[in-house]
Amino acid sequence: MAKVEGYGGAEHSFWKNMVKHRAHIVLALPAFLIMFFILYVPMVGLVVAFKNYTYSGGIFGSEWVGLDNFKFLIASKNTFITMTKNTVFYYLVFTSIGTFLNIVLAIAIDQCVFKKSAKTMQTIMIIPVFISYAAVTFIVDAYINGSLGLINRVFGSSTRFYSEPSYWPIILTIVKIWNSVGYGSVLYMSVLAGIDTGLYEAAQIDGANKWKQIWHITLPELFPMITVMLLLSVGGIMKSDTGLFYQVTRNSGQLYQTTQVIDSYVLNQITRNSNFGYTSAATLFQSVVGLLMMLVSNGIVRKLAPENALF
Amino acid sequence: MAKKDLDMVSSGRRERKGVGQVILLICLIIYTLFCALPVILVFVSAFADDMSITQNGFSYFPDKWSMNGMNAVLKYGKQLFTSYGVTILVTVVGTLLGLLVMSMYAYAISRPGFKLSRFLSIYLIIPMLFQGGTLSAYIIFTNAYGLKDSLWLLILPLCVSTMNVIILRTFIANSIPAELMEAAKIDGAGDYRTFFQITLPLMKPSLAAVGFMMATAYWNDWQNAYLYISSDNKKPLQMLLIKIQKSIEFLLNNNNVPASVRAAMGNSIPEYSATMATVIVVIGPIMVAYPFFQKYFIKGLTVGSVKG
Repeated sequence: MAKVEGYGGAEHSFWKNMVKHRAHIVLALPAFLIMFFILYVPMVGLVVAFKNYTYSGGIFGSEWVGLDNFKFLIASKNTFITMTKNTVFYYLVFTSIGTFLNIVLAIAIDQCVFKKSAKTMQTIMIIPVFISYAAVTFIVDAYINGSLGLINRVFGSSTRFYSEPSYWPIILTIVKIWNSVGYGSVLYMSVLAGIDTGLYEAAQIDGANKWKQIWHITLPELFPMITVMLLLSVGGIMKSDTGLFYQVTRNSGQLYQTTQVIDSYVLNQITRNSNFGYTSAATLFQSVVGLLMMLVSNGIVRKLAPENALF
Repeated sequence: MAKKDLDMVSSGRRERKGVGQVILLICLIIYTLFCALPVILVFVSAFADDMSITQNGFSYFPDKWSMNGMNAVLKYGKQLFTSYGVTILVTVVGTLLGLLVMSMYAYAISRPGFKLSRFLSIYLIIPMLFQGGTLSAYIIFTNAYGLKDSLWLLILPLCVSTMNVIILRTFIANSIPAELMEAAKIDGAGDYRTFFQITLPLMKPSLAAVGFMMATAYWNDWQNAYLYISSDNKKPLQMLLIKIQKSIEFLLNNNNVPASVRAAMGNSIPEYSATMATVIVVIGPIMVAYPFFQKYFIKGLTVGSVKG
């Protein structure tokens, strides 16, 4: 009896709470609805992975085909494996080099005693992130264009970069670093700015030089932010900066071997109006792997440093 | 680059502070040049004579300067004007709408004692873990919602993002004293008034930071326009660049385009300096606006991420 009463009481107090907080429900509603229609409903769209999708049939009218789309996906070894491999490869390269350079740059700017110049330089370093990939395409072309490009002119060569897949891992990495390192370091700098200067002074009195200070004070203070940023990025292991792979490579088919990632593949399939069921199977694979990676990495962080875990 | 930065770290090791600082400064200058030179090339090329580019290639020191590139941008005249309008409209409406609904949501879920706040937080986090992806969104938006060629498809997809709500929520939790809200309530202010007159104005630094990032995302978004927008009068600036790119490719891949077709394409045959001038027109506004926002932008991130 007591249990039932308690339950009823909880229910009662829940509705009372809702009435009391009705203004907060209203405030949350617009964003709630936008997320529902833009982010949640498309999750349902993934059922297309199990269907033979036709435009007229729509999502629910198209016929079920079970796992056929996945069989096709695995059967088309080359495309699927190549693009998955590329996606993971670029994720690893961009994340490792990117994080490392973000930290180095943040510490370098923080340590620089020429504060005014450092600030101006930082302003310039952040600019590339604000240049869209549609525009970056033209800038990259100015450097690597076969006959007019700066690189071929300077070295007197005539490399046709747009039909040579082997150069692209390097080109894309350089473009990505140029684009994002200055911006990425801002977050770490904000942490550095928050470090109690008393810690450094104390270390100095104890005779620690700059390098010891960086190693024993700066890096440990940065560690939580590094963990969070890596954790956040792991969920995106199957996702890519689509513009970089689709625009900057000019979507050149000759380069797919080293430049096709899942996201650019999906974009191609949509614009060419190809088999959506099959493409959707690739998307579902991408989303599920992302989810698993996220759960695993969050689990690890929760064990190591619970206060930094996302959930 | 990695090597250069490593050198920077190791070179100062046993040197006195003065020398180490100079080396550090030089390394920073080198990296700054690495970031700035590509942008400078765009400006130089835009003001270079087109003939000197087609003959000698791109260069930081063109033989001849000219204003023709900049003048040629005007030949996109009407389309450029329309695209500017579309981009500005989408950026302004999207950013303001996003800031408003996200800060309301962030405020609501950080209210103490609000029993839905846990559910709403989980609801917020899930899309970060699992997404439908580009294709599903495409199918749902075009087929289920019947939206096509609509500006809403440029605005809504970038409007609410989990990360931005989290930044705003962190800011409210760490930088706005809860006592202020309580005091307002004791003084008889309703929930809406407390939010709009007390909390929202105090959120300014975080709103400036998130708002600037959103505005940039809207300004630079090409993918949604590429997928959903078909009519010329709704094409944003980025689509203009993609269109130019496409016509260059068309000409490159078709060396034997008959003279009649070339003539028909007439003034749409792209020239290098004109193309670069167009790039300036597209990226210019952000580059001009950014230094003014930098203070807010960095400060906002600082306050949002450092636990207070």
